[in-house]
Amino acid sequence: MEDSIGGSSSNDNNIIKEQDRLLPIANVGRLMKQILPQNAKISKEAKETMQECVSEFISFVTSEASEKCRKERRKTVNGDDICWALATLGFDDYAEPMRRKSRTKIQEASTNQNDLC
Amino acid sequence: MGDNNIGKVLEREGFKYNFTAAASDTSAQDEVIKEQDRLLPIANVGRIMKQILPPNAKISKEAKETMQECVSEFISFVTGEASDKCHKEKRKTVNGDDICWALATLGFDDYSEPLKRYLHKYREFEGERANQNKGNNNTYENNIANI
Repeated sequence: MEDSIGGSSSNDNNIIKEQDRLLPIANVGRLMKQILPQNAKISKEAKETMQECVSEFISFVTSEASEKCRKERRKTVNGDDICWALATLGFDDYAEPMRRKSRTKIQEASTNQNDLC
Repeated sequence: MGDNNIGKVLEREGFKYNFTAAASDTSAQDEVIKEQDRLLPIANVGRIMKQILPPNAKISKEAKETMQECVSEFISFVTGEASDKCHKEKRKTVNGDDICWALATLGFDDYSEPLKRYLHKYREFEGERANQNKGNNNTYENNIANI
């Protein structure tokens, strides 16, 4: 991971707006709050640190998935590419449940499609 | 990065946190958390992903949704570890250092170091801003006194 926190843009000369580079702090805080005990608090600094971290995580995984697509001469990054990237980067524990979730969603979608027919 | 430590906390189907019940609220165990509270906005996630890809590349909806789920788990995973630390140290407020510590503990050492530097700069900036505000308040008070 580079020293400058925050994903690189496809055009290095472009300065990315803060709201495009980071996920909304309110949503990040809400997710964090769900994990903590009821009486616990989260400092603004902790939320902002997590914001930076999440952006870096997304960039890191997407970059790996993008590289796979480039090598395979495909233009569209799909769910399997993300799962593959997670596994490649050592997030094996994330990759498998994600694959299962993905399969379930696809099955549900096809079931709904069949019901409509 | 992301070594064996990652496996130690992930328990439910590979994950510790079951989002169908509010982890922190025992009275709300039966309540299902709304999708928008459980996941980060897909548009924002997609926007960050898009910045990494070449201009002609595309991202499927499925890829964005997978990343959405993943990010939620990541936040929960790190926050859970930071929360445990605060609980053990009998502190009620999770701060930036706790997040950095959690990242390092869970094997995200590559994230932890730059974030520590970010925190240091952040605190310097906040300190400067507080001093500026104090200066502004003093000027205001002096002006009021002179009226």
